[in-house]
Amino acid sequence: MSRRTIATLAALGAALCLAGPARAQDRAAQGTAPAATSAPASAPTAAGTSNSAANSAANSAADSALDERTAAVARTLRCPVCQGESIQASPSELAQQMRTLVKDRLRAGESPDQVRAYFVSKYGEWILLEPSMTGLNKLLYAFPVLLVIGGLAFVAMLVRRWTGTAASPPPSPPAP
Amino acid sequence: MTGLLAQGALLVSVVVVALGVVVTPVAIRTGRREWLQLSYGAVYTNFLLVSIATGAMLVALVTHDFSVSYVAAVGSRSTPLLFTIISLWGALEGSILFWAWVLALYAAAVVWLHQRRPGNLVPYAAMTLLAVSAFFAILLVGPANPFLPVSPVPADGPGPNTLLQNHILMAVHPPLLYLGYVGMSVPFAFAAGAIFSGEAATNDWAILSRRWMLGSWAFLSAAIIAGMWWSYEVLGWGGYWAWDPVENASFLPWLTATAYLHSVMVQERRNMLRLWTLNLCVATFVLTILGTFLTRSGILSSVHAFTTGTIGYYFLGFIALVLLATLVLVAGNSDKIRTAGTLGGAASRETVFLLNNLFLTAVMLTVLVGTLYPLVAEAVRGVKVSVGEPFFNRMAVPAMVALVFLMGVGPALPWGSTSWADARKRLMPGVIGAVLLGAIALVAGARAPWAIIAFAFVGYAVVGNLREYWIAMRARHAAHGENYVRALAGVMSANPRRYGGYVAHVGILIVTLGIAASATWRTEREATLVPGERLTVSGHTVRLKDVWGREEPQRSVIGATLEVLGADSSVIGTITPRMNYYRVSDQPVPTPDVRSSLKGDLYANLMAFEQSGRNATVKVIVEPLVPWIWFGGGVVVLGAAIGMFQRGRRLAASAR
Repeated sequence: MSRRTIATLAALGAALCLAGPARAQDRAAQGTAPAATSAPASAPTAAGTSNSAANSAANSAADSALDERTAAVARTLRCPVCQGESIQASPSELAQQMRTLVKDRLRAGESPDQVRAYFVSKYGEWILLEPSMTGLNKLLYAFPVLLVIGGLAFVAMLVRRWTGTAASPPPSPPAP
Repeated sequence: MTGLLAQGALLVSVVVVALGVVVTPVAIRTGRREWLQLSYGAVYTNFLLVSIATGAMLVALVTHDFSVSYVAAVGSRSTPLLFTIISLWGALEGSILFWAWVLALYAAAVVWLHQRRPGNLVPYAAMTLLAVSAFFAILLVGPANPFLPVSPVPADGPGPNTLLQNHILMAVHPPLLYLGYVGMSVPFAFAAGAIFSGEAATNDWAILSRRWMLGSWAFLSAAIIAGMWWSYEVLGWGGYWAWDPVENASFLPWLTATAYLHSVMVQERRNMLRLWTLNLCVATFVLTILGTFLTRSGILSSVHAFTTGTIGYYFLGFIALVLLATLVLVAGNSDKIRTAGTLGGAASRETVFLLNNLFLTAVMLTVLVGTLYPLVAEAVRGVKVSVGEPFFNRMAVPAMVALVFLMGVGPALPWGSTSWADARKRLMPGVIGAVLLGAIALVAGARAPWAIIAFAFVGYAVVGNLREYWIAMRARHAAHGENYVRALAGVMSANPRRYGGYVAHVGILIVTLGIAASATWRTEREATLVPGERLTVSGHTVRLKDVWGREEPQRSVIGATLEVLGADSSVIGTITPRMNYYRVSDQPVPTPDVRSSLKGDLYANLMAFEQSGRNATVKVIVEPLVPWIWFGGGVVVLGAAIGMFQRGRRLAASAR
């Protein structure tokens, strides 16, 4: 009974992780969603004796969990022979081969960052669709954040100044 | 012969345009206003001459006159007539010619509609448009001459880029884009004219240019949506936006134009943000030219990078000239233009518009810097880097989501000022929509925080905008006893600008919903099927019927017919992704097929096939709510069209 529950829960857990959207997949691929990877480990032992339906469900769930992780990494790698497409988006043969390579490496236990590092070593930084947060690139990431923070401060200053100099009294003065 | 005629017309137009530019300041400075007719005549003559050149190009294309260099480059006897005609904008030189023609058309329309207006604004605006025309005329007789003679004359040509002759949307997207892009030269011309004439110290010029910007904005919005649709229908990856440099290039002026359409309201109402609004006009124009430079010069790789050549330097020089000139002009006159800002209170629509302009500018600069960064990194570090979709999703999308929220806040708050208690009362109803849509997204399985926030904000803003109609309709119902349908029509016609704006808001929200839903719940599977085999993707099952081939004059077509199965395994439809092999290219063009419903699309792309027809590899994607994006785009255009009617005219018409 309890084993059955565990197997079902594992399958359910894996399935739930799959239902996650694009950015959740990203996070899963970055290793913050261990449920997806632990599902195949717990499912076979539980299901071998009791519930084979749950077993196959968990297995295919684990398979598609790997697919999802592969897709998440593939979305961050540039297809070398296309126009700015990721290898996930591109239907080209090379992109297909690269996706297989990503999958194999993930299956072998590499982390998404390790897989990406491998492609960088082969193709250079250019292969990453999102530049790494190092060196000069940090400026690229800091810029939008500083822009919004600085902009908000600037707008706050303007509103304060412009409401302060208002000659005509507002109909109902704003509460602090 | 046609080539010579067209070249002659273009050469004459360079002279005419140059004379028109010179005569304007002379006429105004010396007080000989009758000379301005020469300048206006130059505008009309330029339109005539560029029309002759464009007409000659169409004739050359349709008659397969391969002695004309552009036809030799993009023409082919086997290309269907429609695609032969639209190959006018299918490559660099033709697209510059088409640009010049649209610009000449706009300039003629501006002079035609506004030349009786007193003052020096319109003459200087016409002069500015002529100066921009001069740049394009020089390109057409110089580095982008489409009419060079070819000898010996080839018997046939390669035909247009295969990607560009594969879908009918290529007849729609580029003209819309040019009408939008080039139309944004008009507000710029008014801004420049305002500075030259000293009218920048008033608000009249901004009111005059508003409708030109709104119309161009509507064209550009439609063009962006049509471009997304084309990408979705042709490129075979099942997506519609990849943050490709060219997509970014079309998005940048859209953002500043949107900011202008909001800031100009503050300028009109409160006589402030004058300098800022003017700068937005200039920025929008510069971004259209910059976008063309980035994508046409080949400096950034893109589907739209036609050639590499000297044309990039011309664009760079022109951008530098425009920036330098406007910098000097604006800086020199900023004291006259600037006005002291006053706000009734912090809780007001004006404040929301300031935030709206902030976030639109922030998104614009983020996308601009991200797009240009690879050039910077290569120059500074000597390393090639890419800035693609994941970067923009992370860094630009949050500010866009914030804008969705502001779309619900702005309409709810009054102009001037209100108490915080009243503001709270006005802002509360939207929360119901936010909770509702956020909860629906959560129950449907959305887990990404940004997605849930986006859904909640869409819900908030939908309620915020619809409530404005409701309040106005109820007031009319109570006051005149009109039924609600009549009341809605009355609300629209009494203030088309405001309520058209809300229609555009709702359109953007529908687009946002489509994007958020498809990004969240898109599922795809790829499989190699033998005939009779099934593939199920998130509840949708297809079965491969057969793989077939067909010969057409300009291409061979390989297709896979997939039967879409209903719940009881009965066939409820078919979907036939194809691969088109054009004679002129080794690369096949994927041609996905889409089955649409209100709930979303079933999208199939043929990835590979066995020559014998034994099997086919297909990618099947379930794309929730994607058709909403196209529909929402239509609503945006409708809203802008309503907003084009100005209050006075509408009232006069309805008074009969």
